[in-house]
Amino acid sequence: MENTSQVPVTVLTGFLGAGKTTLLNRILTEQHGRKYAVIVNEFGEQGIDNDLVVDADEEVFEMNNGCICCTVRGDLIRILSGLMKRADKLDAIIVETTGLADPAPVAQTFFVDQDVADRTKLDAIVTVADAVHLSSQLVDHHEAEEQIAFADVILLNKVELVEDNDIVKVNDRIRKINPFAKIIKTTRCDAPLDEIVGLNAFSLDRVLDIEPDFLESDHDHEHDDDVTSLSFVSDTPLDMDKFQDWFGNLLRTKGQDILRSKGILNFKGEEERYVFQGVHMLMDASPMGPWPKGKDRSSRVVFIGRDLDNMNLKEGFENCKSA
Amino acid sequence: MNADLEKLQESNKTELERRGSIFNIGAPATEAVTIRDQIAVGFGDGTVRFFQSGSDPKTVKAHKGVVLSMTNYEDHVLTGGEDGRFLKISSDGNIDEIFNFGSKWVDCVASHKDTKVCSSGKTVYIWTKNKDKPQTLEHPSTVGGLAFDNKGKRLAVSRYGGVTVWKLNNNKWTASNFTWKGSHGTVTFSPDTKYIVTAMQENQIHGWRINDKADLAMRGYPSKIKSFTWVGDTPYLVTSGSSDAVCWPFDGTEGPMGRKPIVVANGGKELATFVKALNGEKAVFTGFTDGSVLLAEIDESKKPIMIRSSTGSEVSTIAISSDNSQILIGDMKGSILLSSLWADN
Repeated sequence: MENTSQVPVTVLTGFLGAGKTTLLNRILTEQHGRKYAVIVNEFGEQGIDNDLVVDADEEVFEMNNGCICCTVRGDLIRILSGLMKRADKLDAIIVETTGLADPAPVAQTFFVDQDVADRTKLDAIVTVADAVHLSSQLVDHHEAEEQIAFADVILLNKVELVEDNDIVKVNDRIRKINPFAKIIKTTRCDAPLDEIVGLNAFSLDRVLDIEPDFLESDHDHEHDDDVTSLSFVSDTPLDMDKFQDWFGNLLRTKGQDILRSKGILNFKGEEERYVFQGVHMLMDASPMGPWPKGKDRSSRVVFIGRDLDNMNLKEGFENCKSA
Repeated sequence: MNADLEKLQESNKTELERRGSIFNIGAPATEAVTIRDQIAVGFGDGTVRFFQSGSDPKTVKAHKGVVLSMTNYEDHVLTGGEDGRFLKISSDGNIDEIFNFGSKWVDCVASHKDTKVCSSGKTVYIWTKNKDKPQTLEHPSTVGGLAFDNKGKRLAVSRYGGVTVWKLNNNKWTASNFTWKGSHGTVTFSPDTKYIVTAMQENQIHGWRINDKADLAMRGYPSKIKSFTWVGDTPYLVTSGSSDAVCWPFDGTEGPMGRKPIVVANGGKELATFVKALNGEKAVFTGFTDGSVLLAEIDESKKPIMIRSSTGSEVSTIAISSDNSQILIGDMKGSILLSSLWADN
């Protein structure tokens, strides 16, 4: 259930030098009339000095719950529960991660830890990308790919330093990895803050925003470990039991390689739309109201991850169609 | 207000609420400790307030941000804050800054006689009498809890992956590791110092028998365990985290191994969030998510007594004055009940 007293948390990723600090300083100093706490990492760039800045050490812990890829940020659990004891209510919390950090443990913390889930909610993963260097970073560092793959919003920063046709190339490269993130082109991270904070991107009803334009399978790539996306559409209603069997088994066995998954589902005999969204093996799913009148009842699913070609995703999805 | 309504509300109050005082501080009560006839409470607005029967609390503006940790030290309290300061505070408002860690929080504090201890990040800092510079103990991950044994010779430090027990010999600390996968928070020694127990990030507590490091996994809780307390001579380790106060027996050579806990103080739909022993009795106060508090004997056949009715905000701390005469209950909205435990006080 949606709890209005949950404080939204924005996760900020991006390589060193991309412009995260510029953005954080804007968030802390602009006169926006809101109270934001910022959790920074100990290896972060200097230059942020504010009472609302908290030092964190990015401690990634394995949960003792039998889930093999279930890692969480232990320090985040500690810091968020501390911040929730403040007398003054925070409007939002921003978590900065180091350039080399995997965003998954941060996102998983909000699925796994009950105290964190009760009092805060993951709002969006925002990745700041350097328009000049992103292409080479994507080749050299798999972390850069993951940060693009996980993002709900990508600030393509420093566009003033890049030729227009190169921007188009970078944009296409991003789209190949992540077809649903919103890309905002910026100079000195000058995007309006309300397009970065308070987006509710992890709320299940936002899954309904999946743009059908991007749902065309396209996966020519050079390395097997590249992060890519695959998507499928079906106008035939799905069989709920078959889907649950397939999808549950898929996340259990391949969840480590599936970075994010999202979908809107039309089940046979069900009046309501079903939506889900997942991070690795963890996912959230729920019915989300009736289908809009006069529109196609088509099921749409998107996967972002590695080695997707070897998961028989298309065949698995096709097999879920009701007879 | 309508006189009948007022009467009705009055009759719904517990005996302790009728004879006690209620203070609305407006910030979550985070910690409470007893110093002689006073009870010091730390709050989410950075204040430490000293409560005493028959007078208004004395307020000390101690930290900027949340008071994260607190313990008693001689006639003072030691506090750790979100502002990175480790403080020694007297009830007349005197603040002595022991150390300032800047933007790193002071998560845990502990003391034994004239030794002051705090943790910030992965490091534990120990100040002993007449020494300005602290000794430091390093750990592989951030410290989740600190506890001295009753003689002050051993210091348990919980962290990710288990507990480091440091032993003091000839002014040197040596480490012994107790391992269990997962993240460990609040830690305690059993009163006979034969066991150590931690509250974990998962919904379970974990214990070790110190002499052979045998594991005791105590699971089955529906939520995280935020509070535990040792009760009676058996003794029982009573924990929060369930709809009842869950009481694990630590008698005999095996302790709770292979035994079932006793459950008392059923809160119905509410979960227990704080437990506190009534000194010298086989009884425990249990605070719940709705703000209510029950007093129960560790005996499943006895009925608990309602001490505080629901406030709608979870109980975050309970303290009893050292002479067992006063109880203080605080919740996450900052409502404080201070009342005498006995009718003819």
